Amino acid sequence: MESGLIHFLEKNSIYIVMFIVLVVWIGIFIFIWNTDKKLKEIEKELKEK
Amino acid sequence: MSFVIIAGITFPIVPTPLYWYEFPNIPGLEEKAKIIFFHVPTAWISVIAFLMAMIYGVKYLKNKNLDDDAKSASALQLGMIFCILATVTGSIWAKFTWGAFWHWDPRETSIFILLLIYGSLLALRSAIENEDKRARLSAVYSIIAFLTVPFFIFIMPRIMTGLHPGSANDDNAGPIVDFKMNANMMLIFYLSLIAFTILYFWIWKIRYKTIIIDEKIHKNN
Repeated sequence: MESGLIHFLEKNSIYIVMFIVLVVWIGIFIFIWNTDKKLKEIEKELKEK
Repeated sequence: MSFVIIAGITFPIVPTPLYWYEFPNIPGLEEKAKIIFFHVPTAWISVIAFLMAMIYGVKYLKNKNLDDDAKSASALQLGMIFCILATVTGSIWAKFTWGAFWHWDPRETSIFILLLIYGSLLALRSAIENEDKRARLSAVYSIIAFLTVPFFIFIMPRIMTGLHPGSANDDNAGPIVDFKMNANMMLIFYLSLIAFTILYFWIWKIRYKTIIIDEKIHKNN
């Protein structure tokens, strides 16, 4: 299955570019999500006060 | 940013571009050449982030203001994320262009060393409880660490032979950005650099404000 996917990507290299864009956005999303998590914790602490 | 993503993916690559929306064919890369709009900006942002970590490290040592340390820490975290993204995206591209995910090419080796240097800095930061001590050590480390960045990003991969475009034995006689892209491709490339830079500053600002507020709340407790 893995070699089939690689073969498909080799034949249709635009999907490699799309996959790379997806990887970049997943990385940025994880960082923003982590920041949002920190903000929620701060909000919670402020409410408890 | 949306324009860059849409244009970067959908504009066709043709042997002789006639219209404004066509990109030239780069032999051996074809559609894969479009990675330049997304991979290069991630590496560019990591250099900017490490530079800012150093600048705010110097500021901290001068003013002893913990807000500067928060700005430096935020830049360090973002620099690390973008450095990882540059490594992963480059590695995916390498699999389909050079045949394997990793070759220990000078460019790959240099980014791996940078990941180790800055990974150690983040580990060091998380190991120190005392805020002032952590800020002081981190500032000194980020200044020393940044001295290696121009060598590993701009010098070493260009004076050594390797597979990456821009290496000493590159048949193109220079970085790929200099001459093989037409004006239209260059425009999208520079727009991408600008868009990623704006995105970086926006996320950096949110992140350092979060760190500052968090520190202030814990100080008051």
